Amino acid sequence: MSKTFTRRNFMKLGGAALAATTGAHLLPSSFNRILQPVHVVQGAVPEPDLFFAATDGWISLPVNPATTTIFHPDPLGPLNPVGNPFTTYIFGFRNVTGLDDTQIQNQKNKAQHSAPLFWTQQDTPFQVKLTNLGLALRPDLVDTHTFHWHGFRNVIPFFDGEPSSSVSVPIGRDFTYVFNSHDPGTYMYHCHVEDVEHVQMGMTGLVFVRPVQDGNTALYPSGTYVYNDGDGSTGYDREFAMFLSEVWAESHWADAHIQLPEWSDYKTDFALLNGRVYPDTLAPNGSIDPFNPVTDTNGDLIATPGYEHLQYQPLSSLVNCNAGERVLLRFANLGFKQAAMTLTGIKMQVVGRDATFLRNGSTSTSYATNTVSLNAGESADVIFIAPPYQGPGAYDTYLLYNRSHSQTSNLSAGGYGGQMTEVRVYPSGVTPQTGPNT
Amino acid sequence: MVPFIKQRKRKLSARWGVALFQILALIILGAGATPRVAVAQGGPSDGIVCTTGPTFTLTTQTGYIGTPDDNVVFMWGFSAAGAGFQHPSPVLCVNQDETVTVILHNTLPEPVSIVFPGQENVLANGAPAQPQLSGSTITSLTPAAASGGSVTYSFVANRPGAFIYQSGTNPAKQVPMGLFGALIVRPTRGATYLYQTGDNAFKPNTEYMVLLSEIDPALNQAVERNRPFNLNNYRPRYFMLNGRGFPDSIAPNYASWLPTQPYGALVRIQPYDATLNPLPAAVRYLNVTSQDMPFHPHGNHGRVLGRDGYPLEGALGEDLSFEKFVINIGPGQTWDTTTDWQDAEGYSLGNPVPITVPNVQNTVYGTFYGGSPYIGQTGPQPVGATTLNQCGEYYIIQHNHSLFQITSWGIPMTGPISYLRIDPLANSCP
Repeated sequence: MSKTFTRRNFMKLGGAALAATTGAHLLPSSFNRILQPVHVVQGAVPEPDLFFAATDGWISLPVNPATTTIFHPDPLGPLNPVGNPFTTYIFGFRNVTGLDDTQIQNQKNKAQHSAPLFWTQQDTPFQVKLTNLGLALRPDLVDTHTFHWHGFRNVIPFFDGEPSSSVSVPIGRDFTYVFNSHDPGTYMYHCHVEDVEHVQMGMTGLVFVRPVQDGNTALYPSGTYVYNDGDGSTGYDREFAMFLSEVWAESHWADAHIQLPEWSDYKTDFALLNGRVYPDTLAPNGSIDPFNPVTDTNGDLIATPGYEHLQYQPLSSLVNCNAGERVLLRFANLGFKQAAMTLTGIKMQVVGRDATFLRNGSTSTSYATNTVSLNAGESADVIFIAPPYQGPGAYDTYLLYNRSHSQTSNLSAGGYGGQMTEVRVYPSGVTPQTGPNT
Repeated sequence: MVPFIKQRKRKLSARWGVALFQILALIILGAGATPRVAVAQGGPSDGIVCTTGPTFTLTTQTGYIGTPDDNVVFMWGFSAAGAGFQHPSPVLCVNQDETVTVILHNTLPEPVSIVFPGQENVLANGAPAQPQLSGSTITSLTPAAASGGSVTYSFVANRPGAFIYQSGTNPAKQVPMGLFGALIVRPTRGATYLYQTGDNAFKPNTEYMVLLSEIDPALNQAVERNRPFNLNNYRPRYFMLNGRGFPDSIAPNYASWLPTQPYGALVRIQPYDATLNPLPAAVRYLNVTSQDMPFHPHGNHGRVLGRDGYPLEGALGEDLSFEKFVINIGPGQTWDTTTDWQDAEGYSLGNPVPITVPNVQNTVYGTFYGGSPYIGQTGPQPVGATTLNQCGEYYIIQHNHSLFQITSWGIPMTGPISYLRIDPLANSCP
C-alpha cells in the first residue's frame, strides 16, 4: 500500500468517487459492495460551499450572585486563553471549510454559539457539507446530527434534516445538503436531532438569501436589497443579523453531568443576542466571514485580545452607522419564548416576515412599529433610517433590546445583561461594511 | 395529600413499539384490501371529521385519554347525543347563516356552560347570553347549566371560518379539563372554500385541523379525586394536537387503539401540479391554551387567509393574506391557512441529487424514510430495520417550535407534532 490505511481515510466517503473506491478496495471483498456509496456523482465533484462540523464546546455567560446556582457556572468549564473558566456547556456547529483533517478533528469540543452566520444567492445552488465530530465530554452519547434550514420552501425530506423522515449524520461520517434557494429573506438553521435538546444546547444560527435584484444600483444606490421589490423600497446601506437564543442553565449542566432535565420545567436563565449577552453584545467580532474563515494553525478560533471569554461567541451585535443611512436588521428567534425587540427612539419598518416580502402584487402589508414581536421560529426583516446626528459626543446611542424585560435583564447586576445592544449613529465617517455585522 | 407519582423518564421505546406496530399492522391490512382503512364512523382516515347540525345536543362526559409517555389522564368533555366520552369534543360543522342550536346537558358535579367566541347575538334559553353575577362577582361568562341541568344556546352563524366553543364557567379549570371543541362554519358558496370571498378555495377532502391544547396532569388528578387544586400552581406537562400527542397524532381518525381520541392530525396531499392538482389543502389552526403557540410547518409556508373568522382582505377586496413559516396563534385565536408542496427541483433517478449519496451503513435512516431521496422511490433499508414508508412517499414534519412543549413530561419528540405526507401524483400507495 502506498499510504497508511487509517480508519479516517477509509471513512471519507464524501467528495470524489475515487476516494471512496480507494478506501473500499482495502477491505475484504465481501465488504466491498455493501459499503460502496449508493450514488456517485460522475465527473468533477464540486467542493461544497461550506463545510460545517457538529460537536460540543463551551461558552461564557456572566456570573454574579443572582445567577450563581449549582448549575451556573458549570465547574467542568475549561479555561480560556487567559485562564478564566468558561461557564456553559454547549453543542454547536463550527465552520471548518478549508481546514485539513487534523485541524478538523481538533475542533471537537470547540463549538461556537451562535452557529456560523452565512448567506446564499437566490437561484444559485449551494452545498453545505456536515460532519459529526462527536461529543468530547459525552462519549456515551452517540447522537447523530443534521442540518435543518428552517423555512426553506418546497424542500425534499432528504435535504430537510429532520431525522425521522430522512437521514442523519453519525459520528465520524458526513453528508452534503444542497439548497437551491429561490426565495430571498431571513431564515435560520439548526440541528433537528432530539431538537429540544440540540436546539437548547446551541446548534442554532441565522442564514439568509440575497435577492437576484442585488447589484442593481438604479433602484437604490447601494445595490443591496432584502427582496426583489422592483422599486428599491427594501434597499439598505448596512445589514446586521440579530439572532435570538436562550439558555436554561440546568439543561446545559445536565448534559455536561450526564443528567436529564425535565423539559416541562423549562425557564430562560439567559437570553442571548447573536450568542452573547449585553454588554458583550457590543464587543468586537471574531472571525465571522463564512467564506474567509480565520483560525489559528490548529484550526481553532482566535480570541480577540481583551475578550478571551468570547472566543467561541464570535458574532457582535453592535450597530454603527452614519446619520441618514438605511440599516437592515435581520431578526430570527430560536429561543423557546416570545421576544419583543424594541428600538428606542427610531421607527422600524417591517418589510418582511418569515422570509416573505410584505407585499401582494401592488398591495403592501409592510408596517411601521416600535417593537417587533417574534415567537420561537419566526423571523423579521426590519429597516430603519438612522436619524440626524444630535450630539454631543462622537455618536448618538439608541438602545435595541427585548421589551420582555426579564430577557433583557438576565438577572444581571444593574438590570441590563441580556438581549440588548446599541445602535450608534455617527454624523459621518463610519466606513462601509466588509460583511454583515461589521 | 396523596403523593403524586410522576412518570419520570419512561423509555419512549415501549410506547413507540406499540404505536408503530399498530400503525404498521393497520397499513398492511389496509394495503391489500380497500384503499381507505375502515373507520368506526365510516369517515375518512385523515382530515377533519364533521358532526353536522345545525342542532346539536352536547352532553358532558368523563373519561381517560392516553399520553405519549404511556400515562392516562382523566378528562372532561362534551359528546354528541348518545355518544361516549371523546377528546377533544366533536367538531361541529354548520353552514353560513344557519341558526345553530346547542342543547347542553350537564352531568358534571359543577355548573357548566358554553361560550361561542366570535359569534354574535348568542341566546341562552331564548334570552341574550350575558355574564352571570352573584352580587358584583362574575360566576360564569354566560348562563350555565347546573349539575344535572340543561341550557339551550342559539345563534346565527353569519360568518364563515373556524371558531372555538368552550366552557364559560370557571374556564381556567374547565377548559384545560377538556371542555372545548372546534366549530366550522362553511361559506354559502361552497364547503371547499374557507370564506365567502377571496382566493381561498381548497382541494376537496383535504381539510385539516391543528387544535392545540395543553394538560397539567396534577389538575386533572385533583379533579378525578375530587380534591382542591390551586390554579396558581398550574404548569402543563402535556401538549396535544387534536387531543393526541405524537406519535398518536399521526394515527388515523378513529384508530381503535385510541378509543377516546378520535381525531388524527396527519395532513395528506400530493405535489402541486397546474393541471392534475392545482388546489392547496386547508389547515385550520385553533389554540385553546393561555399562551401563543408558534406552529412550524416544514416543507412549505402556510398562507394565512383569515383569522378568527375574518378573511384577510381589504375594504376593496385587496389581498392582505401573507405566508408564514411559523403560524403564531394567540390564545383563543383561530388562523385559517392553505398549504401545498411543489417539486421545485424535480430530483429523480433521471435527475439525481448532485451529491455522492452515502451508503446506508454511513447514515442513520429515520422511521419514515423510504430509502431514496426521490418521491415515489424506495431504497434498501438497514438490515433488520422496519420502515413505515409505504410507497416512497415524503413525510415532512410539522410541529410547535416552542420546543420544550414538544415533550410529554420530559420525553422529547412527542406532543404537538404531526407530519405532512406527500404521495406521488401517480402512485400505488395504499
